[in-house]
Amino acid sequence: MRLFPKGYLLLAGVLVSAGLEAHHSTRGIYDEDREIELTGKVIEWRFINPHPYLIIEAPAEDGTVQQWDVSYGGAAVVHLRRQGYAADTFKPGETIVVRGKPALAEGVYGVLIEGGRHPTRPDGTQIVSGGSMF
Amino acid sequence: MTNRKDYRSALSRPAESLAAGVALALLGTSGFAADEIPDLAGIWQFGSCGGGFNLSCMILEEDDELLTSRAKAYRDAIDEAAQPKYDCAPMSVPHMWTDPYAYSIEQHEDRVLIHYGKDDVVRTVWLEGHGHEEPAVNEFFYFGHSTGRYEDGALVVTTDRFTFDPQGLNADFRIPSSTQKQVVERFSRDGENLVLEVTTTDTFFLKEPWSFRVTSRPFQGEWEDSWQCDLEAARQSLKLLPPMYPDDPPIERIEY
Repeated sequence: MRLFPKGYLLLAGVLVSAGLEAHHSTRGIYDEDREIELTGKVIEWRFINPHPYLIIEAPAEDGTVQQWDVSYGGAAVVHLRRQGYAADTFKPGETIVVRGKPALAEGVYGVLIEGGRHPTRPDGTQIVSGGSMF
Repeated sequence: MTNRKDYRSALSRPAESLAAGVALALLGTSGFAADEIPDLAGIWQFGSCGGGFNLSCMILEEDDELLTSRAKAYRDAIDEAAQPKYDCAPMSVPHMWTDPYAYSIEQHEDRVLIHYGKDDVVRTVWLEGHGHEEPAVNEFFYFGHSTGRYEDGALVVTTDRFTFDPQGLNADFRIPSSTQKQVVERFSRDGENLVLEVTTTDTFFLKEPWSFRVTSRPFQGEWEDSWQCDLEAARQSLKLLPPMYPDDPPIERIEY
C-alpha cells in the first residue's frame, strides 16, 4: 500500500464529483487528510443502487491481506454508467489499482474513490473512460 | 423518451379549454384560463442554482444558522446508523431536490405526478377543485400530502401531513423534520427551462423559512425509471462506521 501527500488530487475530477460527495455524507467514515493506493484482487463488483461498490483483497498497512470495501461515495448506477462503468467492468480475480481516502475506524478496511480517480490496471491503463457523471 | 406533449393537460388545447371552462363553471369549481397553466410536462435535469453544476443554494448545512437549538440537539443525538436511508428509505422533500437526479412531470386534469429519478419515488399532487378527499386527521405520510393549484403561470404545490422524519430536512447531516413541516413548491417555465422555487417551514427545527430557487434544463440523457434499491448495498457503508453507542446491544436489522 502506498501513501500520497495530502492534497494530491485531480482538480477537474474533484469539481465534477464535489456535488455528490456533499450530498452523500461520508463525513466521519473516511480520512479526508490521507490518501492510499491499493493493488489488489477483485473479489466482488456490485453495480447496483443506491451505490455501487467493489470488494478487493489487498495488503493493509501492517502487511496483512484484508478485504477492502471500495466506495464511490454518493454515486449511483446512473452516474457511474456515464463514466463508462457497467456490470461487467470488474471481474473476480483480476488485479487492479485503487486510490482513495482510507476509512477512519480501526480494524475496518475501506477506501473512498473520488475526484475522478478511477481504478486502473497495474500497468496504469484506464479501465473506464471517465468523464462527467452528469 | 416519451413525447412531452402526450402529458399535456387537456385544458391547454383552445377548443377543449373553452368547453372545459364552461363545464367547470357549471360545476361551481374554480376554472383556469388556458394560458395560466404552464407546460411542465417532460423530463427535467436536476436543478441548478446557476452557473452550470451548482447545488450550493439548496444545502442546509450541518450547523446552518437556520437551525434551532432543538434541531442541533436532535442532530447530535441521532445515530447515523439509524437513518432510514440505510434501509432504502428515500429522502423526503425538500432534501430530495438537492440530489443530482433527473425527474419527470406528468400533468393530468385532476393531478400532477412527479417521478423522481432516485428511489422510485412518485409523488401525486392533487389539484384543487376536483373534489379530492382530504386525509383523515390521524393520517400522516412519508412524502406528506400534496395539493396544487395553477396560479400566475405556475403550479403551486403545498405539502404537509409529513410523518416525523429523522432525515426529513437533510439526510446527510441527520437534520430531522417534524409533523409541522410544510413545503411549498412553485414550478414555472422560463423559456426552455423549468424554474423550481421551494420554501420549507418547520417551526420546531427552523428559525425561519428556508428557501431556494433552481433552474432545470430539459433532460437530454436516457431516462432510467427503475431504481431498485438493494438493501445490502444500502447498508454496505455501515460496516465502516464506528458505533455511536457501543454499550448498547448490537443492531439486528430486518431483511425486508
